[in-house]
Amino acid sequence: MAVAFTPSSRRSVAYRFGRNQRALLGAVVLALLVLMALGAPRLAPYPPDVANFEHRLAPPGGAHLLGADHLGRDVLSRTIWASRTSLSIGFLATVIAVTAGVLVGATSGYFGGWPDVALMRVTDMVLAFPVFFITVMFLALFGPSIPGLVLVIGATAWPPTARLVRAEFLRMRGLDFVAAARSLGASEVRVMARHILPNVVAVIVISVTLRVGVSILAEASLSFLGLGVQPPTPSWGNLVADGREYLRSAWWVSLFPGSFVFLSVMAFNLLGDGLRDAFDPKMKV
Amino acid sequence: MQRYIIRRLLQAVPIMIGVTIITFGMMVLAPGDPISLLVSPEQMGTTDVGVLRAQLGLDKPWPLQYTSTMTALVTGRLRSFRERRPVSEMIREALLPTSVLAIIALVLAIALALPIALASALHPYTPLDHGVTVFSLLGISLPGFWFALVLILVFTDRLRWLPASGIRPVSTMGYRPVDIWPYVIMPTVVLCLSILPFLVRYTRSAIIENLGQEYVLVAHSKGLSRGRVMTRHVLRNSLIPVVTVLGLLIPVLLSGSVVVETIFAIPGIGRLALQGALSRDYPVVITTTVLGAVLIIASNLLADISYAFLDPRIRYD
Repeated sequence: MAVAFTPSSRRSVAYRFGRNQRALLGAVVLALLVLMALGAPRLAPYPPDVANFEHRLAPPGGAHLLGADHLGRDVLSRTIWASRTSLSIGFLATVIAVTAGVLVGATSGYFGGWPDVALMRVTDMVLAFPVFFITVMFLALFGPSIPGLVLVIGATAWPPTARLVRAEFLRMRGLDFVAAARSLGASEVRVMARHILPNVVAVIVISVTLRVGVSILAEASLSFLGLGVQPPTPSWGNLVADGREYLRSAWWVSLFPGSFVFLSVMAFNLLGDGLRDAFDPKMKV
Repeated sequence: MQRYIIRRLLQAVPIMIGVTIITFGMMVLAPGDPISLLVSPEQMGTTDVGVLRAQLGLDKPWPLQYTSTMTALVTGRLRSFRERRPVSEMIREALLPTSVLAIIALVLAIALALPIALASALHPYTPLDHGVTVFSLLGISLPGFWFALVLILVFTDRLRWLPASGIRPVSTMGYRPVDIWPYVIMPTVVLCLSILPFLVRYTRSAIIENLGQEYVLVAHSKGLSRGRVMTRHVLRNSLIPVVTVLGLLIPVLLSGSVVVETIFAIPGIGRLALQGALSRDYPVVITTTVLGAVLIIASNLLADISYAFLDPRIRYD
């Protein structure tokens, strides 16, 4: 327990984060996954899309560490390449969701009054949406595409962040340092961006971390249903869907790529949880 | 309380209208034509597409289409493009398997979450508690579709214990427990695991928060047994925040149903919604979306009402 430290000091945050083994594990796994995505051309033992019918559905081991699929393509190489697609979609969707959430939450919490009422009504409305149904419908009607996927995952995921950020802005706008900044002639935008926002960074960072995991899971589920990333571009979700037909005879085609979804979402959750504990264990994110 | 419920119901009206407008707007803006999916290319020459379009009401300007669709939806006369029968009938058939799975999953999740959370909260920061925390994190991160495939591989393929598709044997009708139980196990386990970790985490922190309250000390000093203090005092008060979380988990179950019903070939709402969207069966799409929104709004309202019911201090007027 780090009771002796004040929660705001940076050193104590780093200290508590370092002490948290689960969070460190999350950070390490995440770093490895990102390295894997960046180094895909060097790391993958085979090109991801070269078929070799002699190795059709080859079991793990030997020439193919994680086996080969129904066209004899190397499962490990395809999984490594897929990490680029899946991780970038997860990050981009999160950037959209959190940017929108911060803008809405900050405006709502700082100004109050009718903008607050209007924005919170919209937030409530999105929260009452059967989000997954709407997402499925959007992708089915407009055709599955990567930009569509990023947009729809991001556009439906901002309300929780908006609420958190709103609560923080609402709390801080009445504090003395805000009044001081204002009395020195700082504009509203400057007060929001330079004075309040830095104090809300913890909430935002945690929000981002946990949200990337949720977005990766959404991308994988949608691609699995055939509504997300389309073959031949590999993503973890569509690799699982690809191999599903061969589950009986060649489970590795489906289950290995899927386990990377599990691993990456877990890494983000471990990291997000650890960051929350490091910043402030009582924080409700 | 009555006034509160009425106010909440009135607030739900603009939300519902918003949902229908957004759904309808997507249909109007979407590229392509639902007719092209209804008529096969070989039949294109022989079928009078204009007549079909008029039959389905797709020839009218879209504000008119919207009002006539909404009237038909509210009065239950909306008919599916594809199956040419009332959507309400299709929904009724699909609702049964979905609710069977959802209710079993929910009950199972609550039955498991309470003892796990209680054990964990009573021994905080012990190996047991850490174990529960780690398993909750694993559970939250588990992709449902992947887990379902793992279950099928093990229990259908290797062990041959459970069937992997459908809700009952082909030869039977209805939903008699004797017929459906082997079919229900794997889908409900997947659904249950999608909400169990959330429930455990919330219940655990609610219990820990309550354990520090003075009324617990009072109850102990009155000489009540430990079991009585835990069940009648701590657990009961801890359930209050848990009830709200239950309301929030209904959407999770709903989105889970799309994936689970697709994998296990269960003719439920999730699969109906997915297939409706894929085949551009607009009446089915709009009905399932509205139904989803109604379920979410209703479960949130129900959670808030039971909140006041469980804690008499909460007044909504």
